[in-house]
Amino acid sequence: MITKRDVEQIARLACIELDKEDMQAFTIQFNAILEYFEELEDIEAELTEQEEGNVLRADEVVPSLTQQEALANAPRVDNGYFKGPRIL
Amino acid sequence: MSHLEHVEELLESIGRSKLNAFITVDYEGARQQAQDADAGVLDGRLAGIPIAIKDAISTKGLRTTCASKMLEQYVPPYDAFVVKKLREEGAVIIGKTNMDEFSMGTSTETSCFGPCRNPWDLERVPGGSSGGSAAAVAAQEADIALGSDTGGSIRCPASFCGVVGLKPTYGRVSRNGLISYGNSMEQIGPIARTVEACAALFEVIAGYDPWDSTSRDAHVPHCGASLADELTGLEIGVPQDFFGEGVDPVVENATWEAIAVLESIGAHARETSMPNLKYALSAYYVQAMSEASSNLARYSGIIYGHRVQKDHDWHTTFSENRASGFGKEVKRRILLGTYALSAGYYDKYYLKARKARTLISRDFRRVFKQFDALIAPTMPYTAFKIGEKIEDPLSLYKVDINTVPINLANVPSLSVPCGRKGRLPIGMQIIGDQFNEQLLFNLAFQFEQQTDYQHAV
Repeated sequence: MITKRDVEQIARLACIELDKEDMQAFTIQFNAILEYFEELEDIEAELTEQEEGNVLRADEVVPSLTQQEALANAPRVDNGYFKGPRIL
Repeated sequence: MSHLEHVEELLESIGRSKLNAFITVDYEGARQQAQDADAGVLDGRLAGIPIAIKDAISTKGLRTTCASKMLEQYVPPYDAFVVKKLREEGAVIIGKTNMDEFSMGTSTETSCFGPCRNPWDLERVPGGSSGGSAAAVAAQEADIALGSDTGGSIRCPASFCGVVGLKPTYGRVSRNGLISYGNSMEQIGPIARTVEACAALFEVIAGYDPWDSTSRDAHVPHCGASLADELTGLEIGVPQDFFGEGVDPVVENATWEAIAVLESIGAHARETSMPNLKYALSAYYVQAMSEASSNLARYSGIIYGHRVQKDHDWHTTFSENRASGFGKEVKRRILLGTYALSAGYYDKYYLKARKARTLISRDFRRVFKQFDALIAPTMPYTAFKIGEKIEDPLSLYKVDINTVPINLANVPSLSVPCGRKGRLPIGMQIIGDQFNEQLLFNLAFQFEQQTDYQHAV
């Protein structure tokens, strides 16, 4: 059973502000969904399947985006930099 | 008819359409490419063929939104690997298709550009998440299309719209340039009105790409050359687990009739069982949500994407950008994924889901020692009404019951039309062992030759 307070805490971790209405609806829906997922509890198998793992390629220098291309989609830009919110 | 005349016809029918299958139509680019094809400047295996591309696949200079307010203004600075391949082969990119936001859905109702409609019944969903791609192909607003399939997102709309759609083997088609949702399960794949056209598009997009670390360097066979091969002696398994509670008897009958058709042309069919499939839905959703929470952490509204007017501190700014940029279903999945990965719940949900995936893969490996291919209904029923399930997320998740096991096992599956309930199309999926797409196209083509379910709207 998860509570509204739990949902609030998860939302904080996930960096998503929730309004009251969503908080209410999500709490009810999450309980139904998580209850459904509980069928996984019976599973006792070992994790034996071979994972693909990381496949690394050689670290070669190749042409990349120009500064202009990299900044083209940024909502706020200042003097060739991405502009974030203030820290202090 | 010239390529340009054909493209003009499509653009006109898109202009008149009630489907909302496209988010962005590239009028100028499509006309230019068609003219180039007519002039012989463009050549290749798809020269002059108009294709629609799911809006989750990056197209250089052409807006790519993932049907989200978060990316409403985003214009990719590069082409996805598959888009490069299309351009090399002379395809005409007609536009970007509607979808569920960030590919999270089974109905193409969660798009921030409004729902897409089923061309066979405008009150019904086209399926999802690649609903716009399947609807556009079915309604002749494009000749062929690309979708992506994380838990059924190509096969579901192919089934609901009466077209052919393939979820390739994991690693077969590069994911470079595909906007990630559930990266360990998703593949880009082809959608077309005929098996032959679907196979031709598959051959173009498949292949090794060093820029996708999960891409596999496997030989891509010429599937088009073996379409008409005899099926004699082929062993087909029919796992009873795909015919569980909730499958419409009309769909069940259509699937068995299709199996009888395949038997009449030389295949042997026999029932089998895959008991671990009962865990597939939960295992899929726990993993997909966990991966989504990680993949979508990148959207902060600073480097690209939606940003609110007023800045606060970093955490508040990020949280406001994400709150106003993402829709409800995306928020639900990110939050549930965050929960499933958090300390204390990782073992209970995520680890158990990984173990279930192991068991399900083992079931598939076992049956493919006995059978060349499996057949099952793609969807438990035909297209449902817009609004019918959207308020109850769990009921919408359950629609994916037959498609998600395939993604968990990394195997390929091809959905083909196999009947009708009234006007509404029914689809069956032909499932093969890893890297055996060639056989799926062969089976589907032979079936298509015997039947008459390929009507355009």
